[in-house]
Amino acid sequence: MKKNRVLVLGIGNPLLTDDGIGIVAAREIIKKGLAGVDVEEATASGIEVMEMMLGYEKVIVADAIFLPDHEPGEIMHLKEEDFSHTVHGSSPHGVNISTAIALGRQTSPEMMPKDIVFIAMQAEDISTFGESQTEKVARMMSEFIDAVIKEIRK
Amino acid sequence: MAGPIIFDQKVKTDKKRITIDPVTRLEGHGKIDIFLDDKGNCINAYWQVPELRGFERFCVGRHVGELPVLTNRLCGVCPAAHHLASARALDAVFSAEPTPTAHKLRELFYMGQYVHSHIAHFYALAAPDFVLGPAAPANKRNILGVVEAVGVPIGAEVIKHRSYGQKVQEIIGGRATHPVFGIPGGVSKPLTEEERVHIETMAKSCVEFGKFTLKLFNDVVLANKDYLGLITNGKSFYQETNYMGLVDENDKVNFYRGKVKIVSPEGKELAKFEPKDYLNYISEHVEPWTYMKMPVFKPIGWKGLVDGAASGIYRVGTLGRLNVSKGFTTPLAQAAYEGMVKTVRSLGVTGPVHHTLAYHWARVVELQYAAEKMLELASDKSITSTDVRGKIGEPKEGVGIVEAPRGTLIHHYKSDKDGICTGINMIVATTNNNAAIAHEVKKNAMALIRDGMVSPGLLNMLEMSFRCYDPCNSCGTHLLPDGSRALEVRIIDKDGNVKQVLKNF
Repeated sequence: MKKNRVLVLGIGNPLLTDDGIGIVAAREIIKKGLAGVDVEEATASGIEVMEMMLGYEKVIVADAIFLPDHEPGEIMHLKEEDFSHTVHGSSPHGVNISTAIALGRQTSPEMMPKDIVFIAMQAEDISTFGESQTEKVARMMSEFIDAVIKEIRK
Repeated sequence: MAGPIIFDQKVKTDKKRITIDPVTRLEGHGKIDIFLDDKGNCINAYWQVPELRGFERFCVGRHVGELPVLTNRLCGVCPAAHHLASARALDAVFSAEPTPTAHKLRELFYMGQYVHSHIAHFYALAAPDFVLGPAAPANKRNILGVVEAVGVPIGAEVIKHRSYGQKVQEIIGGRATHPVFGIPGGVSKPLTEEERVHIETMAKSCVEFGKFTLKLFNDVVLANKDYLGLITNGKSFYQETNYMGLVDENDKVNFYRGKVKIVSPEGKELAKFEPKDYLNYISEHVEPWTYMKMPVFKPIGWKGLVDGAASGIYRVGTLGRLNVSKGFTTPLAQAAYEGMVKTVRSLGVTGPVHHTLAYHWARVVELQYAAEKMLELASDKSITSTDVRGKIGEPKEGVGIVEAPRGTLIHHYKSDKDGICTGINMIVATTNNNAAIAHEVKKNAMALIRDGMVSPGLLNMLEMSFRCYDPCNSCGTHLLPDGSRALEVRIIDKDGNVKQVLKNF
C-alpha cells in the first residue's frame, strides 16, 4: 500500500495511566480521516519506531514525557536536536529513539523523513497500571490532540 | 578497522561508594550501589530496579481470554514471549490441545521473535563491548560506533535481518510488536501459501546471516586472546550455579514447549517437570533492598547471595538452556554447539559452562538455531492447513511456560467458571535470573574494584557482567516499557555519603 507523505505516530503504553496519551491521541486523530495523513500507534521504542518512519517526508510523534520541574499537562514541541544529548546515552534492550534515528540516517539516509517533530505532554503518573489518565492530563487531552493536528497542517 | 580497546587508564578515587545508575543498554531503569571500605576496596554492591504498581490487580476481574493481549504489553522487548506464554497458559486453563498446525504456526512466529531479539542484543548491546572494546570512549561504544567500525553495508544487513524477524511475527501474529493471534487451543488465522513462501525466502537469508554472525563472533571474540581470557578466566564473570530451561523429549533445547529441566553446578539433573508443577520446584525469596523477587530451586531454598551446589540460586537464558540440554535439533546450530563444548572442554571445563560472558556465545548459537528452525517450519507445506484450533473445555486453573529469549517465562492463571480471572502469577526471565545477576554484580565489583582504582572502562565491565543476561527490568518488576530507562552508578563511603555519581541520561 502506498504511503502518504505524513505520519502521525502515537507512542506509549495504553495500560500505564498517562503513558498512554500518545495512543489515545492517535486513536482520536484517525477518526478524523485527515487526507494525506497516515496514523499509527506503537508500544515500542528505538529501532522499531525508526523503521515505522521510513518512507515518509514528515513524522509527528505524539508521546508522553516525564521531566523534572514541569507541570502535568504541559505541552511541549520538540525537534530531533532536542534529543541530541541522549544520542549516545541511555538505551534499553535495543537503542533509544535518538540513537535509532541516527542509525536510520546512517544506514538508510534516503528513506528517513526530513522532518521529525515531537509533540509531548508532561505526564503525572507513568508507573501505575490503568487505562485512564490522571485529572490534569485528561483535562489537556483535546489541546494535545489539537497541537498534533496543527503540526500536520504546517 | 582498529582493534578493540579492552583496558583503559584507571584513576584512584577517594570515594567510598560507586553507583552505576541507570545501566546503559538495559531495558528498565537500574541502579548499582558500590560500597567501598577505608582502603577503597569494594565490600558490597547492590543491583536494584524500581517498580511499577498493580499489574495483578489490573488483570483480576477481566476475562482470561484478554490476557494474551494484556500481558504482552508488559514489555516492549519480548511481547511475543508473553503472548505465547499466555496462550500456553490458556491452553491449560481451557484444557485445549492445539492442533499440530497451530503449534507449528506459534513456533514459526516465535522463531521470528528470537531472530529479531538475538540480533538486536548481539549487535546493539553486546557488539559495542566486543567490536569496540569495553574501554572504548562512551560516545563510540554503541551501535552507531559498531556500524562505523564494521561498515554501513554490514550495518544494513543487521537492520534487514532484524526486520525479517519482525516481519515474520507480523505476518503470523497480526501485528509486529503486540501480537493478537494466540487463542486457547490454537491461533486465530491460518497461513496462506503466499505468506509461507515469503517467510521461507526470509528464513533462507536469516540462516546465512546466522552463519555470518557465528563467524564474526569467532573472528572478533574467540580469536582475540584478551577476550577469550576475559570469558574463560574463571575469576570474574564466573559463578557456579544451578541452571534451568525447557527441553524436548530428547533433552534438546526447545523455546516453545517441553518440560522444565534443572541441573546442578556439576551438571546433574535435579528436576524435570511439567509446567503445572512449577510451584513444587520454585519458590520466590524476597530481599529488603530490592522490589524484584529472587526465585530459587525450592528443594534447596534460599541460602543467601552465594553460588555453589549448596545454594538454590539458578540461572536461565541462553547459557542456561545450553547447560541443561544436549544441544539443538538443527544441524548448523548443533555443530556450533559442539564446537563450543569442544573449546570449553579443552580449557578443562568438565560440567556446565559457568563463564557468564559465554551467554553471548550461546546467543549467537541460538540465533543460528532460530533461523534454521524458521526455515524448517516455513518449508513444511502442511503449515498452511486451515485446521488451526483445537476444542476447548471449561475454564479452570492453568500454567504456561515458554523460553523467552532471556530465559524461562512462567504465566499462571486462575479462572472462575465464567472465564473471569481470579488470580495471576508470573515469573519472568529477568526475575528468574535476579539473584544470579545481583551475585554477579557483587562478585565482579569486589574483583574489579581494588584500592579505590576506577575508570569508565572498568565500570562498563561491571555493566557487562549483567548485560550478558540481557536483563529486561521492565517486566521483572512488572514495570512497563517506555524503552528509555537507564542506569546510575553511585560510589558511597563508609559513612553512607554519596561521593560520586555516574549516569547515562
